[in-house]
Amino acid sequence: MAEVILKNVGKSYGTVVAVRDVNLTIADEEFVVLVGPSGCGKSTTLRMVAGLEEITAGVIAIGGKVVNELPPKDRDIAMVFQNYALYQHMTVRDNLAFGLRNRKVPEAEIDKQIAYAVKMLGIEPLLERRPRQLSGGQQQRVALGRCLVRNPKVFLFDEPLSNLDAQLRSQMRLELKELRKRVPTTSIYVTHDQVEAMTLGDRIVVMKDGLVQQVGSPLDLYRRPANRFVAGFIGSPAMNFIDVKVDATDTQATVAADGLSLSFTGQKAATLRAHAGKTVVMGVRPQHLLLDGADASGLVRFAARLSTSEQLGDQQLLDLRVGGTVVRVSGIDPSLTLAEGTELKLGAVPDNVHFFDAEGGQVLTT
Amino acid sequence: MTSLPQLGSSIDALQPPRKGFFAALAPGGGRILFALVVIGVAFLFAFPVLWVLLTSLRPASGVFYVHRGTEFTLHNFVEVLQQESVYNAFINSFAISTFATLLSLGVTVTSGYMLSRFRGPAPSVWFAIIYVLRCVPYISWVLPLFFVTRQLGIFDTYWGLLLPHVAVHVCFFSWIMKGFFDGIDPSMEYAALIDGCTRWGAFFRVAMPAAVPGLTALAILCWLYTWNEFLFALLLTSHKTPILTVVMAQFVHELGMEWHLMSATAILALIPALIVTIFGQKYVIRGLRV
Repeated sequence: MAEVILKNVGKSYGTVVAVRDVNLTIADEEFVVLVGPSGCGKSTTLRMVAGLEEITAGVIAIGGKVVNELPPKDRDIAMVFQNYALYQHMTVRDNLAFGLRNRKVPEAEIDKQIAYAVKMLGIEPLLERRPRQLSGGQQQRVALGRCLVRNPKVFLFDEPLSNLDAQLRSQMRLELKELRKRVPTTSIYVTHDQVEAMTLGDRIVVMKDGLVQQVGSPLDLYRRPANRFVAGFIGSPAMNFIDVKVDATDTQATVAADGLSLSFTGQKAATLRAHAGKTVVMGVRPQHLLLDGADASGLVRFAARLSTSEQLGDQQLLDLRVGGTVVRVSGIDPSLTLAEGTELKLGAVPDNVHFFDAEGGQVLTT
Repeated sequence: MTSLPQLGSSIDALQPPRKGFFAALAPGGGRILFALVVIGVAFLFAFPVLWVLLTSLRPASGVFYVHRGTEFTLHNFVEVLQQESVYNAFINSFAISTFATLLSLGVTVTSGYMLSRFRGPAPSVWFAIIYVLRCVPYISWVLPLFFVTRQLGIFDTYWGLLLPHVAVHVCFFSWIMKGFFDGIDPSMEYAALIDGCTRWGAFFRVAMPAAVPGLTALAILCWLYTWNEFLFALLLTSHKTPILTVVMAQFVHELGMEWHLMSATAILALIPALIVTIFGQKYVIRGLRV
């Protein structure tokens, strides 16, 4: 059990910078998810913690001990890989025992640890099989078992579920959550799947181009994205963005785009006033756009024309045209039949409307 | 419009496709032609071997009438086996092939692994060296090697033939070995590093066992190649270290051409190669698919 600290950590290959200035303190038993698109440096960061990648800048400490120069075997960590990385020429039992035998653990103790791990993961019948004879889900359980038997200070997960099909992925996600409750260990989990990040993480670190974009709890990131990238990355379907021009008076602020003009008062107006005359990016989540919310008060409203609808059974997704841009709305009653080209009234609660800088993408605040 | 009953009858007429080797390769009438071509090509390759086999079973007087005569004998085999040079050549060829294979693989497996897994000046330089050496025509190595082995005093010894063979194999097979390791997922080795292995430990205990099919294939190719090799054997050895391929050629001499004895030796030389091929075929195919 240990705390993991990353201080100004960076990684460059010659002149190419893969990871820049990562600062992160992971508390004991905390589950932190690194998420971002491919090439954002999340895997590299994890591999630096594991010791598989040299650290070219900064310091990494595990359990209060700087590990920069320590080889992976001396860091007391365990790792689950995307493609499971089981030893193909060994049985499941030997796979589980490999790490313990290397550490000269007595055989009796090894048997005890293996029995404990296989019971927890439900893989007792597989012990004498070879990895090739197992399904993807079973292999992933064995890979988890290989970590469990070691009882390490830190678990590292490198996209462990991305090789599984969608159904198995959501099942394993639940099992991971369950496992976490029973074996609380400091964990760093890398994924490109924001759903995994939202459901598993105590805290999420969003990365892009080697830089940390935002660190926070899942709800924090969803409600208060720090920039346009995080806003677009977290949440599904992705947030709608529209370029708008700001016009402000003393009491209210108006944003306008082709086919759209919304007036804000209070806090939002104060935020926008500083950008009067400039173009900013407005963002609204598809879930936060309400269809014909005439009965609710305090909404900002605009008209849009239906372009396509997608039936999902439990809900409909609508693509609507507002001037030159397409806006997506989700959570529509599936029994509602709408003809293409119908003009609809959309509304949103002002608090659910975000504004971002048109250049840097940072969220606008007062 | 097609009416439904017609559609029904056409469904009845549907048959599952015929199965079978040739049917699968060339469906329809083309498969007879295909079978003939396959048989023709197979015959083209098998014919010389069959001819050598026939010649080896004919008495000396019958070698020019192989296609006629009915007289067959095993005397040729007895005669060549009684020749000391043939007997020694068998042992030498076997020893050279085996040791060349062991030595070559020992170097190749580490060299291939380095080329596959490491980046930096050392692998780049090594890569450049074997690339350049590979581009040199094989035959132009022989004369310099002749002088080098003379200088080192290992001409006409095991080492004098072994080392040049190993040098050539390392250049050629490092590439193939690199390919095998490229096909093995490195995360298995990373897992081993985290599980308490050193870099060498991960190589020996995880990467090497995974490369066994490839290694076996390479071992077989290497062994067969050395066993069949003629040019180095001809120029880098003399009377003290007779090599089978050279001894075989020496049945053509100033006093005449002993085709029957040459054929008998060739058939004998074929046996170990055949055994290796038959037992190793599975690995060679699997290895080359990696």
